[in-house]
This record gives sequence, C-alpha cells and structure tokens, in this order.
Amino acid sequence: MSIRRRIVTVVSAFAVVTAVVIVWAPTVGSTSISLARVFDTSIPWADNVDAQIFFVARLPRVLAASLVGATLAAAGVVLQAMLRNPLATPFTLGVSAGAALGAMLAVIFQLEVGVLGISSVPIMSFAGSLVAIGIVYALASSQKRGLSTNVLLLAGVTLNSFFSALILFVQYLADFTQSLRAVRWLMGDLDVGSYRPIVGAAPFIIAAFAVFAILPRTLNLLSMGDDVAAARGVEVVRAQRWAFLSASLATGAAVSLGGPVGFIGIIVPHLVRLLVGSDHRIVLPAGTLFGAAFLVMCDLLARTIMAPLEIPVGIITALIGGPFFLWLLVKKS
Amino acid sequence: MPTLLWADNVSFRYAPAGPQVVDGVTIRISDGALVGILGPNGSGKTTLLRLLSGTRRPSSGRVLLGPDDLTNLSRRDIARRIAVVPQETELAFEYSALEIVLMGRHPHLGLFTVEGPADIEIAMAALSATGTAPLAGRLFHTLSGGEKQRVVIAGALAQSPQLLLLDEPTASLDLGYQLEVSTLLQRLNRDQAVTMAISTHDLNLAASICRELILMRDGRVIAAGPTNDVLTPEHVRVLYDVEADVHVHHDTGHLTVVPVRRVPR
Amino acid sequence: MATGKKIVTTENTKVTEAFFLALFFFVSSVGYVVNVDAQQPKRIVSLVPNVTEILYAIGAGSQVVAVSSYDEEPPAVRRLPKVGALMDPDTERIITLRPDLVITYSSQVDLQSQLTRASIPFFDYRHGDLAHIMATMRGLGERTGHSAEAEQAARALEARIDEVRARVKGKPRPRTLLVFERDSGTLRNIYASAGRGFLHDMLEVAGGVDVLDEIDKESAQASIENILTLAPEVILELRSADRLSDAAMQTEVASWSSLASVPAVKNHRVMVLVGKELTVPGPRVAEAIERMAKALHP
Repeated sequence: MSIRRRIVTVVSAFAVVTAVVIVWAPTVGSTSISLARVFDTSIPWADNVDAQIFFVARLPRVLAASLVGATLAAAGVVLQAMLRNPLATPFTLGVSAGAALGAMLAVIFQLEVGVLGISSVPIMSFAGSLVAIGIVYALASSQKRGLSTNVLLLAGVTLNSFFSALILFVQYLADFTQSLRAVRWLMGDLDVGSYRPIVGAAPFIIAAFAVFAILPRTLNLLSMGDDVAAARGVEVVRAQRWAFLSASLATGAAVSLGGPVGFIGIIVPHLVRLLVGSDHRIVLPAGTLFGAAFLVMCDLLARTIMAPLEIPVGIITALIGGPFFLWLLVKKS
Repeated sequence: MPTLLWADNVSFRYAPAGPQVVDGVTIRISDGALVGILGPNGSGKTTLLRLLSGTRRPSSGRVLLGPDDLTNLSRRDIARRIAVVPQETELAFEYSALEIVLMGRHPHLGLFTVEGPADIEIAMAALSATGTAPLAGRLFHTLSGGEKQRVVIAGALAQSPQLLLLDEPTASLDLGYQLEVSTLLQRLNRDQAVTMAISTHDLNLAASICRELILMRDGRVIAAGPTNDVLTPEHVRVLYDVEADVHVHHDTGHLTVVPVRRVPR
Repeated sequence: MATGKKIVTTENTKVTEAFFLALFFFVSSVGYVVNVDAQQPKRIVSLVPNVTEILYAIGAGSQVVAVSSYDEEPPAVRRLPKVGALMDPDTERIITLRPDLVITYSSQVDLQSQLTRASIPFFDYRHGDLAHIMATMRGLGERTGHSAEAEQAARALEARIDEVRARVKGKPRPRTLLVFERDSGTLRNIYASAGRGFLHDMLEVAGGVDVLDEIDKESAQASIENILTLAPEVILELRSADRLSDAAMQTEVASWSSLASVPAVKNHRVMVLVGKELTVPGPRVAEAIERMAKALHP
C-alpha cells in the first residue's frame, strides 16, 4: 500500500470513529431524552425540555470536550516530537501553570472582566498562559543560536515550579470558598452551557492547527536530532519556534476553556503511536481525532457515573491515565 | 578532477572571545574523492565538518559547493547535495529502517508531498547498496550497531547527494562492524562514485580506505595530500606526540600505523 | 509546774489549729475566686467571624481582644488586631496576646494542640444546621458568663424564625434552587444547597423546598442538564457582597435566560439577593431568612 494511501486510510478510520462518538454522546446522559422531541420544531422552544437538554446542556459540552481533547492531544504530539521525549506533555513548558495562575487571580481578586458572555476566569487564564509562553520563549531565545530545546525545557520546568509556588501563595490569601473554586478549576470542567466560550477559544486553536498541518514530516526529522534534521534540510530553529508557539498557544486556549485536564496530552499520543507507529503524518491527525473522542467519552463518564453528582473530568482522566502508565511500564519491562 | 567542495581559509570560534576552533583552514574535495580528515580529539575536525555541511557559518572565509557559497543556499538546497552521517543516531520514537531511509527524501519533497513510488525505489536502492534491504521492515532499535550505522548511511544515500560527510562513522562500532562499514564506504565510493569526506581519529581506518588525507591539529591543517605521502611517522608524531611504526601491511596492501611510545612535545 | 506547761501547750495547739483553718479557708476562697474568673474569660480571640458576631450579640463583645482577618461585623471589630484565619492562623501572635479563650475551627488541629501546650483553653467550632446557631449561642453564653443574655438572644432569634414560619404556613412551597456560588455572567461552576446544612434549613423556614434535596449534602455542583431536568420553580441566588449595581444585577439575572424551559426562568422568578449577612450562620440569620421569605412569598 502506498504511503499516501496508508495515511488516508488510517486517518479516515479514526475520523469515522470520532464522528460516531461525537454524534452519539449528546444523545446520552443522566436524563433520558427523546430525540424525536429534540428535533420537533412544532414544540415551542421554551417548552421543549428535551431540546434544551440537548442543545444547551449537552451539545456545547460535547463540542467543548472535542475541542479541548483534540487540542491537548495534538499539542502533546507536537511537543513530544520537538523535545524528543515521549514523556513531554502540553503542560511541561509552563503554559498550564501560567493559565492556572491567571485563573486563580481572577477567582481570588474577583475580577469581573467578563466580556461577551465569557467570564473573567477563562480570559485571565488565557492571559496567564500568554505570559508564561512569553517568558519561556524569551528565555530560550536569549541564546545566540536561536531556540535551544534544553533551555526551553529548563525554563518551562522552572516556570512551572515558580508559578506553582505563586499559586499556593495566592490560595493562601484566599478565603475558603475561593480556595474551593480555585481547586475545582484545576480539576477541569467542560459544562460550558453556551457556545460563546467555545467560539472565544476557537480562533486561537484554529490558528495553531493551521501550523500543525505543515509540521508532521518536519516533526519526524526533528525527533531524530537537531543536527540530523538540519542535515536533511530542516530549518531547525524556525521549525522549533513554530512548533513551540503553536502548541503552547493552543494549549493556553484549551486550558482556559476547560481547565487543565491532565493526561490527555500524554496518554493519547502514546496510545496512537502503539496503534499506528511513529510517522507524525499519521500520529498528529489520528491523535487529534482520538483525543477529541477520548475526552468526550471521559466527560460522558464524568456526567453519568455518579449522577446527579458530577465528577470533575480531570479526575476521570487521571483515574484512566495512572493505570495506563503502570501497564505501559509493565509491558516495557 | 573538478572541485566539488572548497573551504577557502575558513575560521570559526564558538564564543566571541573564545579560541579559534578552526583556524584558517583551506580544503579542496574533488569529485569522486575519498578524503579522510584526521586528527586528535579537539583538533577541530567535527567543527570543520559542520562548516563543510553548512550547519555552521564560518566566522571568516567561505565554503563553496561548486560555484555556490553555502551561506547563500537554503538548508533544503544544501541537503539535496550534501548528506551527513553522524557518529551515533539516537531515536526518540520507534521507526522502521525503511522509514528512516525515506526521511532522507525530505529535501526533495514539497511541503505536502508524500513519498511516491520513485522515492521508495530510491530508498530501497540505498538499502540494497548498504546490504540492509532485508532489514527494511525491522524497527531501528532492534538492529545491531553495524546494521544501524549502515541503515543511517543508506538514509544519507537516499538524499541523492553529491557529497557524503561522515563523522567518526566507525567510532562506536565493534571491530567486525568497523570492517563491515569501512568496506561498504569504499565500495560505495568506487562503484557508485559517491564523493566522501570522513572525519576520524582512527589512523588505521583512514589509512585503509582514504586515498587522500588532511591532517589537523589545534584547528589548523598541518598536511594534506595522498595518503601514502602524508601518513608518515613524522606527521604522526606531530599529530599525536607518539612515535609510531608506519608501514604497508602485506595482506591488505594499506598502510598500518602501530604506536610504539609516547614522546614529549 | 507541769500543769502550767500543759495549759500553755493546749493554748498553742488551738492557735495553730485556728491558724491552719483560717489559712485553708483563705486559700480555698482565693481558689474559688480564680475559678469564677475562669468562667468569665477576659481576653477572647476569635478566628471564626460568625462566632465573633455571636459573642457580641450575647454581650461578650467587650471581652474580645482580637479577631480573624475576615472579620468585619459588628463594626467594632474593625479596630481590633487581626490574627489570621482558617488557613493561616498566626499562632505566635495569638499566644502573645495572652488570651484565656480562643475560638477555633474544629479543623485547626495544629493550632489547637499548640494552644493546649500553652495551656490556653479553646472553643471548637464547626458549621452545622440552623438549630446549631442557637445552640452555639447558648454554649458560648455559658462559657463566657453571659448565660442569661445568650438565652435571651437565642430566644429572640427563634421567635423571629418562628414568625417567618407562621407567615408562610399553608402557602405553596416552590421547588427552589438555592445558589450561593457561580462564575458571574455565565452558568459555570454553579454551587447550590443540596438538602442539608443551615442554608437548606433557612430555605425550609422561608417556605421553599430544596430542589436538590435528594443529594443530601451541604452543597453540590449543579450541572446545566441537572437544572433543566429538575426544573426548579424558583432560582434564588445569595450573593455575599455589599451591593450590586443595577447593570450587574440585570446581567446576573439574564445569565439564566438560556435555560428557557425552566419554570423559574419562564415565570421570571429568578432572584438575586445581595448582602454580607446572607450566608453567615450567626445572629443576622433571621434577617437573611426574612429576606428569603419575602423573595419566595412576596
């Protein structure tokens, strides 16, 4: 089978599975609804509870989950290739710590800078992520040779620690309810209830994916080493710059939409590579699709397992991620 | 023989106030040559190789590939004509031998182009040339040291380069694999007319396969020319501070170098 | 001669006995005085704002020497030194103030063991239901030597609460979503009363039924699907703030408009009550209940 055929076939298979999951997920939940009623336009909107559950409660939630899952998985793939490390996550380079700090500040100082129906927390968290990206990028670019992945990693890890300390400090200043809200945000929440936050995050994510689209073969080469990649014709510094900025921007947007949902950025790339190999021309699109489906399913579990109580989606991903890694470890040894 | 690559009085230092790692070096590599760049560790061989491959820009002097100054060429243009084989290849992810060799086609492909049948043919030919065609579907990390190095060489060949630069190609290999790889390089140069420059500190490897040698010490060229003329006990002493016995081996017909004792500078 | 000595010795014994008897009574009366003082702590430090309010309501305000960082009521406490709060009690500062009673949260075990080591008595407070407020009042009344005033204050509260109960008796009790926390301007992170605790009790007294009753917890995060399914007749939001501008109030009420099928939204029974006393389980709880009752049954 030619390479092109293989890429198209495998990615299409993932696309079909993901489409099925996304279409199916809003039809199930803790309340049973009738699809016939949902799409019955003769019932006035204000009386159609089933339609509201579908279009106001579930559909935005599923779309948010798809967007966040797809983004975190893709960002994970890109960063792992760029840093040549399968254990890298979208949160390794400090973006989510910046986002978390922004969110905490919004909660604790009760900044009401809500714009267009998007509350201050996502806006501040996105701003926080941009600050983190800026700092890490500036530090890593201060080398004469352009972007150094070692410095990038070091800067990211340092920023993570520093921001985490700041977050603890800010939480210390908060009162009890604010602390609770802050901690809850860290566990991830996709119950957006409206399409506005999704529309708000989308432009940044789309821009990042536009860059992702041209990266895959370059990522293959980058993962073999800087010198080797350069010798094969890759403008290494430029490629790393684009990879870092696009992956980080996308992560910042995703985290401000749904909170820092952990494990997606590392489980999904690993699983996909186990299934399809390491060619990033397949891993990146397949990972994106699988990430979307995966988070939609996790969120489904989160909102149905203990109904009417909701389990934060980050806990579900952690409960799946932990055993998964144990299994990987056992398998490898 | 036309000159393929000409390094014209190049110098390089890593830090602005640091030492000249390469100091006023001039090298001419002719089409079809098999040149060895020989010298102790720290002599600037690796840096010189970087300058020759365009990975670094010389602080003074220029490197010409044919009529073109390397600094005026894009990485892609250079990669289409010069291929580099590193000393070791560490992969972060698992790729098959064929996938690695196919990556060598990158400089010839457009942004969204996928490798077509022609590219696959070139890759398989490269694998055959290095005797690794049966390993095409095997995962790289399952291969032996010698097999890995041969696959990497195949990957460099798949770039369809005019010039192959090798950095210590046998340094991390066992004796058997060293022989395997050095024989391969010689064959490629002879049968497929691949021009090569090999940077090494292994005197006997240089003596056995290189027809020309460039001797380097402290960033400078101390001698250059045909192997038999250049590889003398005198030069070995200047290079390594070692008194050595240099003579032709009766079985192989190459020069061999046997170190005898250390001598002071 | 022997007789004389004997008389003197008996005389001496009597004097000695009398002396020791007097000494005994003196010491024990002093001890008694000290004990009485211990029942009337003169230097109270309170880390729990609603308990501070209770102390002032039962007449023990003059005995309070320091309060928590979050204390604001009554206004008198704003001048007092601050010693931290739930997460960050300033143990050194507290001990330096030489208190004879410290009001702590029951979760502040480290603080409590340090106070014990310093031989400083403490009062262990935990949030509970509505009745617990009055019980705390009475308990503190005894502890601080203001039993009578405490009894009076508790009874007054109970009376007001009973009044509200009586007023709403017989009226239809709407199923109410009692929200005390939400991301402003949106419907994210909605926390509501879920069947238990003093907020729940307040709602019951004010004539409403907790729509999340089944969950039977003090609070729960309400998902949008949940709210649509449970279809509350009233949405009552409690905002702990001094005031909300008209524009802000409109925005907050309008946030719920996307849940068009919910009866509370359809019938315009979405109400936001603003006030710092609304979520404080203390002496102002009666005001809070009265306001809630007014909102539910105008």
